[in-house]
Amino acid sequence: MNALRRGARNAFRNAMRSVGVVVILGVAIALSISMLIARGAVDAKISAVRSSTGNTITVSPAGFFAGQGGGTPLTTAQVTGLLSVPNVTAVQASLSERLSSTQTNLTSPTLAGSLGQRFGGFAGGASGSAGSLSVPIRVTGTNSPGTSLVGGANGGGTEKLTAGVAFSATSHADVAIVGADLATKNDLKVGSTFRAWGATITVVGIYDAGSTFANAGVLMPLATVQRLASAANQVTGATVTVNSLGNVSGAVSAITKKLGTAADVTSTQATVQSQLAPLNSVKTISTYTLIGAVVGAAVILLLSMLMIVRERRREIGVLKALGATNRSVASQFVAESTTFTVLGALVGGLVGVLISSPLTSALVSASGGASPTGFVRSGGGFTGAGTGFTPPAGAGGALGFRGFRGISNTLSQLHTSASWSTLAFALLAALVIAAFGSTVASATVTRVRPAEVLRSE
Amino acid sequence: MLSVENLNKSFKSDGGEVHAVRDVNFRAGDGEMVAIVGASGSGKSTLLSLLGLLDAPDDGSIEMNGTQLAHLDAQGRTRYRSRQVGFVFQSFNLIPNLSAKENVKLALEFADWPKEDRDARAEAMLAMVGLGGEKGNRRPSKLSGGEQQRVAIARAFAAQPQLILADEPTGSLDRATGQKIVELLRNAASTLKTTVLVVTHDEKVAQQADRRLEIEDGVLTEIA
Repeated sequence: MNALRRGARNAFRNAMRSVGVVVILGVAIALSISMLIARGAVDAKISAVRSSTGNTITVSPAGFFAGQGGGTPLTTAQVTGLLSVPNVTAVQASLSERLSSTQTNLTSPTLAGSLGQRFGGFAGGASGSAGSLSVPIRVTGTNSPGTSLVGGANGGGTEKLTAGVAFSATSHADVAIVGADLATKNDLKVGSTFRAWGATITVVGIYDAGSTFANAGVLMPLATVQRLASAANQVTGATVTVNSLGNVSGAVSAITKKLGTAADVTSTQATVQSQLAPLNSVKTISTYTLIGAVVGAAVILLLSMLMIVRERRREIGVLKALGATNRSVASQFVAESTTFTVLGALVGGLVGVLISSPLTSALVSASGGASPTGFVRSGGGFTGAGTGFTPPAGAGGALGFRGFRGISNTLSQLHTSASWSTLAFALLAALVIAAFGSTVASATVTRVRPAEVLRSE
Repeated sequence: MLSVENLNKSFKSDGGEVHAVRDVNFRAGDGEMVAIVGASGSGKSTLLSLLGLLDAPDDGSIEMNGTQLAHLDAQGRTRYRSRQVGFVFQSFNLIPNLSAKENVKLALEFADWPKEDRDARAEAMLAMVGLGGEKGNRRPSKLSGGEQQRVAIARAFAAQPQLILADEPTGSLDRATGQKIVELLRNAASTLKTTVLVVTHDEKVAQQADRRLEIEDGVLTEIA
């Protein structure tokens, strides 16, 4: 039986103490593993949310948002001037308009209902008497239609071009891409025409965004809407794309400074950042708890091993008197502490994985991460990320707020899992604990003089 | 043959320097059993520590079969202890969670005996001290005091050392058992041609030795 086997066997010499040490180590390791898993889950969620928010900034006329409020439109020059802001790579401008029943032959697929009656009194809004109220047609003029309608351009979901093509960014033509429900309601197909502001508009494409609201809209070239709606050079929103997530807040400041009080400048990132604050604090808590648990486990093992060495001082002297080398005796104690650690890691690993999910949820809840605020429509694609089409400012921005609530609502929905890296960490932590726990004990062992055993006789 | 010449060892204590071993000279032949008697604090244990290379002398020489041992380094002393010296303690000092056989094998492990021979050697040594068969698998707590001391003797002789140092080997035993242990040591010494030094304060034990030495205030003298 060599020193390592003797050491491993010594770990079971005092059953009560062994169980105690293993349980304490197990609890500490379980805590550290669950904290690591929690940290990983929170980190993944933060990354996912951050990447989903994209690197866009929404610019709206001050006081105006998504067809509501008041104020003065921005000008095309103001919006295109944003391209000179450092780190801005693209600016997509949009103009939101409404077509009343006197301005178009289209009929909205959406019934007015009680909401339409309640909000039907605004200018350009629903028309007709209370009994025959019709919902106006939403028109968004955009200079960035792309070929694939992705990104929640018209109110939720992911819009996909189901027929036809998108118009070009610089188009002045009297063309439109219409929502699927609006097309069905008015029997529109690619090539069909409809009337708007006295002009004949040709349908070049049909999109499906997966929501009734979004599918009731019309997308037209920005220049066309500006001309037909007598809104030359007017813009009601812009989506500014920044070259990286890290530069978004700087760009927000620069744009705010450039446009002054004429515009409201918001970035999804800034809003998301505040929403993510609880998760960040959970991350911090879990990091410190993780370090504390590993250090605590190491100290517990260290003290236990020192106690054991002290108890066996005489035995160490005997072994040395019999010819055991310092290395041999020390390795015996290293093996003993490693056995404790391995058992603790097995118990702690299992318990840690089991408790990680409820513990993470509890931490997030305690930190205020779960704060659902009433009804939130799911699937509200608020980002401009993706290929091709990005949401025209205004429409997309409005959806942005819904999106933030969506984030808030899902912050507590963390996916915890023990990955290989978690297991590798557990192994590393166990090794650190075992090494720390046995180093001092081993050093103490080497100081025991074999002559002591004779003096104590 | 053990040859000790002009061996000295002193310690510093609160009351000044204590000269524990003074100019000790003696020789002991192979297979000879020598008793060292003396009162508490006379320097017995210090002398045993020096001879077992558990401590280094201030000066003097310790020679075993022509090999000078007094000034070996720590590694050399450990090696010497593992192969050339066997210890028998008053309180047995067996490892409690190892069986009798495993305790004996411990000495063989430290002496680097071939692994394949250790089992047979341990069983043979236990049989020599009258603990053959099933008792070899018992832990010390399941053995009587006399049996534990037998295991300790088996352990001490296992690696065929040239010198056995027994510190009050009968101190924890009743007279009859102690008598048997001394006989065992004496027989093992003569059979295995091993020098045995027994430190005791029991005159009856000392009388069974081939020679008797007395130590007083660190000075060793031969008793006629």
